[in-house]
Amino acid sequence: MTLIARRLAGHLARGFVMILVVATISFFIINNIPGDPMAARYEKLVEGGMAPEAARQAVKVLYGFQPDGTLWQQYTEFIGGLFRLDLGVSVSRPGTPVLDVLTDAAKWTVLPVLAGTLLSFLVGIILGVYAAIKRTGRLGDALSVSGSLLHGVPQYVLALLLTMIFATLLGVLPADGSVDILYEPGWNAGYLGSLVEHALLPVLTYALSAYGGWILAMKSSVVTVLGDDFILAAELRGMKRSIVFRYIARNAILPLFTMLALSLGLLLGGAVFIEKIFNYPGLGWLLIGAVNDRDYALMGGAFLLITVGTILANIVADLFYTVIDPRVRSGEEVS
Amino acid sequence: MSATLIPETGSAASTLRRNFWRGVWRVMRRKPSRLVGVVILAAFVLMAVLGPMLLPSPLPNDPTAITQPPSAEHWFGTDPQGRDVLALVVTGSRYVLLTAAITALITVVAGTSIGLFSGFKRGRWDTVLMRLTDMKLTIPGLPLLLVLATVWRFGSPWQMGLVLGLLGWGGVARAVRSQTLSLRERGFIEAARGLGLSTTHIIGKELLPSMAPYIAMNMLIAVTGAVYSQVGLFFLGVLPYESDNWGVMLNLAVFQAGALITPNAIGYLLGPLLAILLLTLAIVLVVDAMDEIFNPRLREE
Repeated sequence: MTLIARRLAGHLARGFVMILVVATISFFIINNIPGDPMAARYEKLVEGGMAPEAARQAVKVLYGFQPDGTLWQQYTEFIGGLFRLDLGVSVSRPGTPVLDVLTDAAKWTVLPVLAGTLLSFLVGIILGVYAAIKRTGRLGDALSVSGSLLHGVPQYVLALLLTMIFATLLGVLPADGSVDILYEPGWNAGYLGSLVEHALLPVLTYALSAYGGWILAMKSSVVTVLGDDFILAAELRGMKRSIVFRYIARNAILPLFTMLALSLGLLLGGAVFIEKIFNYPGLGWLLIGAVNDRDYALMGGAFLLITVGTILANIVADLFYTVIDPRVRSGEEVS
Repeated sequence: MSATLIPETGSAASTLRRNFWRGVWRVMRRKPSRLVGVVILAAFVLMAVLGPMLLPSPLPNDPTAITQPPSAEHWFGTDPQGRDVLALVVTGSRYVLLTAAITALITVVAGTSIGLFSGFKRGRWDTVLMRLTDMKLTIPGLPLLLVLATVWRFGSPWQMGLVLGLLGWGGVARAVRSQTLSLRERGFIEAARGLGLSTTHIIGKELLPSMAPYIAMNMLIAVTGAVYSQVGLFFLGVLPYESDNWGVMLNLAVFQAGALITPNAIGYLLGPLLAILLLTLAIVLVVDAMDEIFNPRLREE
């Protein structure tokens, strides 16, 4: 238990540093934007008859730091605001705090990404075992090739192809938005059905883009385990095939948990494309909108939250791995 | 450039090389599909180098035939300006491949030097560098590029390749470092030191040749990522663009010509889409073949 606590502490410290790094990147980018939007807004407010002091405050509320003052002052103000969970105010949605916009959007990103990850993980490892056992046959070859191909295809290409097939040609799935506006939001069948219907294509895209990685990883992991002595021993003792199979699967899955975080991070990054194509109001969609609308506070916030999601995925995956892998638990170094 | 070729006289080296090529040949012969990857890749390079020279510039446009579906005359139809989509794909390939080449170069140089340094020095430097690499791998790449797009002009392949290369060396650095460490474990470096060989000699003549395949493989993976990122950035429409490249075409096809709604623009969407698919497929096949050549454990008995 202490081991887990120690690991968690290390993770939290690293995560904290990461958040600082990302916030710093955002700060310097906002500070170096050509045309200096803060100064421009300040000038505009003063010209509009506002007192300089009030104008300064207004800009501070918008961007999280004052338009004049030294770089260090601005930076500490910006980071200080971050820890008070004050991420500024969205310009493209006048008067709405960035934090509120982000918390509304987060569910549209997190849930489909998780669903897609789980789906691809399950299908990928089951097929990966077959691909490894039958690796000299036609089926194994076909599975490996399918994995390699899907692993290499960009997410937006998959999304566009799926949209073309299911929405344009067949017309069976909606290609746009998160839910039909015909339905009253709430726990009624129509609304929920529409939610699921609209989520199908994004989830399918996430799942297909991650599936290739899982099947390839599981295949090579199983091939490694197959060469281990204990499998040979089990076979010599005349154990049933099914039990041997379970042995193999259990030992081969372990290393894959380290990949879970990587995969989640990849999908979170890819959310930008998928949400743009399916017009799905998640964090990636917000980020693109913010870049196009020059809504810098929202842009920095969305970027930060996507990174926080990746960090959390890393922490959870690592702790999970610590709990299930006996080698880590006993304090051995596992490379 | 005065290149004087020094013939390798070491018999051991030449036997190794012969065996290596024999291995390559065996892998290729057993699965001809692998050769296909090399052929497609070469075709793309030729297309990017020669294509724009062979086609008239600017491309001829036919105002009477705008956004046409594929036909015998225009295999992938025409764009909203009445230009042939296939010709656009060919001219657009230069930007994509030039960027990929610049990215590859930066990735290899930065990744190899950082990986070697880390593996050699170990200790504190190694920890710091690897922490940095981890950090870079944790920050989601595309969102970062999107944010950067507000201050950095990605207009030319050089500007694009530079950023992608500086963001993409993590994988190569990790691979090189772990190779260096494993060769270290085997007493490889100690033995060379004992023979009084200089560090440059050890790295240049002994280490790099044995690592080249790993570097090349990770470089190809990085290049795939780069192609995917740059086309994606243009596709999202957050960058000002100077020329038509595949990403710009995709963006215009989907968000302006309505390729997902009207069948007329379908060729305009499929042209660049198939080009990206083919290029990724080629790279995947080549990486796969390399994996098999250099990783004897994967060779089917």
